[in-house]
Amino acid sequence: MAGGEGAGSGVPECREHLFKVLVIGELGVGKTSIIKRYVHQLFSQHYRATIGVDFALKVINWDSKTLVRLQLWDIAGQERFGNMTRVYYKEAVGAFVVFDVTRGSTFEAVSKWKHDLDSKVLLPNGSPIPAVLLANKCDQKKDGSQNPSQMDQFCREGGFVGWFETSAKDNINIDEAARFLVENILANYKTFPNEENDVGKPKLDLDPLKAESKSQCC
Amino acid sequence: MEEAVTRKFVHEDSSHIIALCGVVEACLLHMLKRRAVAALFTKVGKTCAIAGDVCRKVQELQQQVESRKNQPNGQEPLKRQGSTTSKTPVLTPQAIKHIWVRTALIEKVLDKIVQYIVDNCSKYYEKEALLADPVCGPILASLLVGPCALEYTKLKTADHYWTDPSADELVQRHRIHGAHGRQDSPSKRPALGIRKRHSSGSASEDRFAASAREYVESLHQNSRTHLLYGKNNVLVQPKDDLEAIPGYLSLHQSADNLTLKWTPNQLMNGTLGDSELEKSVYWDYALIVPLSQIVCIHCHQQQSRWTLVLVSQDGTQRPPLHFPQGGHLLAFLSCLENGLLPRGQLEPPLWSQQGKGKVFPKLRKRNSNKSVDLEEMPAEDTSTDYVFRIIYPGHKHDNITINYHHLAASRSTSVDDDEEEEDKLHAMLSMICSRNLTAPNRMKDTSEMIEMQGFGANLLSWQLEHCSQGSSCISCSMGSSPYDIPSCCTCIHDRTPLKMLCESMKRQIISRAFYGWLAHCRHLSTVRTHLSALVNHSIVPPDRPACAAAGLTKELWSKYQKDRKNYKELELLRRVYYGGVQHEIRKEVWPFLLGHYKFGMAKKEMDQVDADIALRYQKVMAEWKACEVIVKQREKESHSATLAKFSSGSSIDSHVQRLIHRDSTISNDVFVSVDDTDSVEQDPKGQEDPALTAPAPAAAEFDSPDSGLPSSRNYSVASGILSSIDDGQSGSFEDGAEEEGSAEGGRSGQRAQPGLLQPQDSVPEEQLGSQLGSQDYLLDVASVCTASYTIELLDTVALNLHRIDKDVQRCDRNYWYFTAENLEKLRNVMCSYVWEHLEVGYVQGMCDLLAPLMVILDNDQLAYSCFSHLMKRMSQNFPNGGAMDTHFANMRSLIQILDSELFELMHQNGDYTHFYFCYRWFLLDFKRELLYEDVFTVWEVIWAAKHISSEHFVLFIALALVEVYREIIRDNNMDFTDIIKFFNEMAEHHDAAEILRIARDLVYKVQTLIENK
Repeated sequence: MAGGEGAGSGVPECREHLFKVLVIGELGVGKTSIIKRYVHQLFSQHYRATIGVDFALKVINWDSKTLVRLQLWDIAGQERFGNMTRVYYKEAVGAFVVFDVTRGSTFEAVSKWKHDLDSKVLLPNGSPIPAVLLANKCDQKKDGSQNPSQMDQFCREGGFVGWFETSAKDNINIDEAARFLVENILANYKTFPNEENDVGKPKLDLDPLKAESKSQCC
Repeated sequence: MEEAVTRKFVHEDSSHIIALCGVVEACLLHMLKRRAVAALFTKVGKTCAIAGDVCRKVQELQQQVESRKNQPNGQEPLKRQGSTTSKTPVLTPQAIKHIWVRTALIEKVLDKIVQYIVDNCSKYYEKEALLADPVCGPILASLLVGPCALEYTKLKTADHYWTDPSADELVQRHRIHGAHGRQDSPSKRPALGIRKRHSSGSASEDRFAASAREYVESLHQNSRTHLLYGKNNVLVQPKDDLEAIPGYLSLHQSADNLTLKWTPNQLMNGTLGDSELEKSVYWDYALIVPLSQIVCIHCHQQQSRWTLVLVSQDGTQRPPLHFPQGGHLLAFLSCLENGLLPRGQLEPPLWSQQGKGKVFPKLRKRNSNKSVDLEEMPAEDTSTDYVFRIIYPGHKHDNITINYHHLAASRSTSVDDDEEEEDKLHAMLSMICSRNLTAPNRMKDTSEMIEMQGFGANLLSWQLEHCSQGSSCISCSMGSSPYDIPSCCTCIHDRTPLKMLCESMKRQIISRAFYGWLAHCRHLSTVRTHLSALVNHSIVPPDRPACAAAGLTKELWSKYQKDRKNYKELELLRRVYYGGVQHEIRKEVWPFLLGHYKFGMAKKEMDQVDADIALRYQKVMAEWKACEVIVKQREKESHSATLAKFSSGSSIDSHVQRLIHRDSTISNDVFVSVDDTDSVEQDPKGQEDPALTAPAPAAAEFDSPDSGLPSSRNYSVASGILSSIDDGQSGSFEDGAEEEGSAEGGRSGQRAQPGLLQPQDSVPEEQLGSQLGSQDYLLDVASVCTASYTIELLDTVALNLHRIDKDVQRCDRNYWYFTAENLEKLRNVMCSYVWEHLEVGYVQGMCDLLAPLMVILDNDQLAYSCFSHLMKRMSQNFPNGGAMDTHFANMRSLIQILDSELFELMHQNGDYTHFYFCYRWFLLDFKRELLYEDVFTVWEVIWAAKHISSEHFVLFIALALVEVYREIIRDNNMDFTDIIKFFNEMAEHHDAAEILRIARDLVYKVQTLIENK
């Protein structure tokens, strides 16, 4: 289902995609807030801690021919239960990795999350799924601005397709970041359009178990 | 793959066949040396004669395709319909894609070819190939035996109507759907929601109120029912004084039954206005016949028109259905026969004829016995009557069917003296069959079936001999069920071995029945051993000594308080289990239920318990508050230090700098570096030499990225560089002043070499347990001023405090109780608990568990004590506990046994039998799934259930939640995403009382299952 499906309607030019997008990062960095802001245009200090996973759906009229539905998976920041995240990540085609600019440790965790992501989910062609880094709570930043060139370099080395300074509270850059991610997802989709839709040719996956046990997290 | 194999659809262009071909091709391609199936087949064809034939056929087909190539062949979305119109056998694009596999399949030799390939795999495949695998290869070959035994036809069959609806039907569908606008495209799953449930299945219940359209829609293929057959202009004479009117005959298959419907054309066409429609008498004429009520089907032929009469169990006849000319009746019967499988069948079955598809069985009077006619005669020419029984082998069926058989036999042909004997045998055999308890795996291939059943060699040879005559013996060609054999055995010409044969068969059948019974018993005993640990074996009834539905009321509680000694604890718990606790007395009762007080305690003892707890709570509070002061101090210092040292950029920049040059390969083992960390920690000497330990601490640092506060980072940075810091790191220090000193050192170190890889000595809280253990003596003597803390401890505390603060601040803020003041209480209790359990630390979700206790008890000390008791069970669910996996495993067993249909669905839709969608349920005892008021009741019942019915009552609540929505889950064919989303959306919308009732019933069900020995 994820990875987009052509609209089954009679109008062949109009495409409809359903993309599964993960939102990950340390606890309390504002994942839920970003999603609520993006989908419902709301902000609250009091969103409950996410346990397990929450969902939100954002429908974007991408252009006259394309409808994009983003299924956002809001994954709990402190969950280390066995294989569960692997199941959550399954078939995702894009991700936001969020950290809190006011808390350095959450930035350090970004690489950990990215690695976790890449070890558990890949695009059908075997490349990592596009991930955008979000430096959230930029409205609370105390001192100066970040060094953009350093962040760019970090993204390049960390395998992120890009980064944004965001604020769920003040609604800064969230739509832009989402747009940027969707662009990347669509670009991937156009390169390998039929990879997932080809029902007639099921892939033969003989050793999923082996792959799973290899990189199991704690 | 297995799924495709086990389905019995036989249409050539069926999606199942296409899927099957695709899968087989994928298997064949795996590690194939030649990289193309065509090359493989050609090569095999050189040595294997059967494959050679296939090669020739494929070549012919390909030539046909070539010559047709200029005809545009629809790749457009609606290509399925596109392929129906042409009369000549045009291959669909999918068919051409898998032409090799497909041709072999339709020629029924695919299994033999694959077997040949498997036998000679070394020639064609790499060593690791699927087909070269000693297990997988033969399995694949034998799996294909089944599909190769099927008849492939272009005739109208069950699946035919599914994939290729007739033009008429398409128009009709369009008309229906057109009115609402385009509702559902085939690729889209229908939207979820409860509304769905209301709209489903309403057609038969209130069809007058509901729009007629909905009824007509129900005649079509939908997610709940398969349309097996549809034919318009079937005439029915609704009343004696009326003329026969044309209508639409359809056959529908839902999960467990077949339904025949006939709808007058007037209703189908919608030529009547809406108001007329509702009043129309045609509704009265419409037929809805569940085929489970039908035991007999009579077919009469009059001047090449067929009439079909359905006869019910009680002998009543339904109005005759007059089929138009042509093979429609045959098509209908063949669809019906398919639809009855696997449980039921037509008796006698239809015959399959090579090239002609299904034909009527021919029963002709013979000199000695009823026998199979081997000559081919066009069925249309004979004007005979046929009587088919619908039988359900493996199910008990009453004698009526057997009586009918007599009737059927006498109707169809004239009786002679041997006939009666035959019938007796028939009756006897079918009775034996009906006693057979278990339905064995159905094999499609007769010979395989016989082997499986362990039939005697004499029988086997007889069967094979019979088959090899090339006759159309029913069971050989159909092979639909093992129980065909009894009826088949009566069809042989030779009478001499009949007696012997019957004897041997009787033996076989009896032994088969015995083994079936044995298997059943074994299954039950497995069930018992698996489930018996989940429930208490003694059943505590809801109505003895008195009805407990009212729960534990105020009156009852005050009675208990007056007479503590004599009141039975179990009786109180029974009340709670069946009815909850009255809200006013919850504050008093909960400490008992949670184990803070014991039932029967005297007032004095209770006071003593309270006093002890108060003392302990004060002590713990003092301990962690003292620690918190130091943690805060460190935090402040490090913040100002960061500001001072990195005033040019934000703190993040320093991380960027540090992380940016990191060799990305080092951080590969993000989550698994626990051991590395341990070894580093245990080897303080190693740490003194930065060069020696540089790579390992890098991993260690990654291990605890959440360790939180800048202060800890500064310490860690320092530790790698300056030996002076080691004092602070490996030992403990006495007061805040020394800590400050080492912190200074750390910062200067960091400034000196900001880009260097630095070890970090903060460790995940899990490992701190052991370290903490060694510090226990310190804690024991701790007083506020002279406490000694290790850096590890401070880091852990800082990390946990941060996490607690994050979650306390956002804990159920929309519930009235959680004001700033009460949140402070919540925080105090939580910190006290976590301080005592730093080895586990704070894990998200704990606040959720404490919150309802705070609301009810509204007392720090009491809540602290009760929470500690609650967490004895609940902490096992958290990541380090291991109870979560046990829950999931138990859910698996329970659903598998109590609702195997749903289990099968979960298994098939991407296999979510890991039950991760229940994670939050078990972690929080359903706290997030229910409203606060319901949480109170559900929790009480869970606590009481331990003593009344089951220690694992949460499992049964989870099961009840699944069962309440099982139809929605099933009808929407939910996969993991759907179900987890569904339950997330349903949170706080459940009917808690209903769910508790079902959960209690389920416990009772399991208890009786185990008890019934």
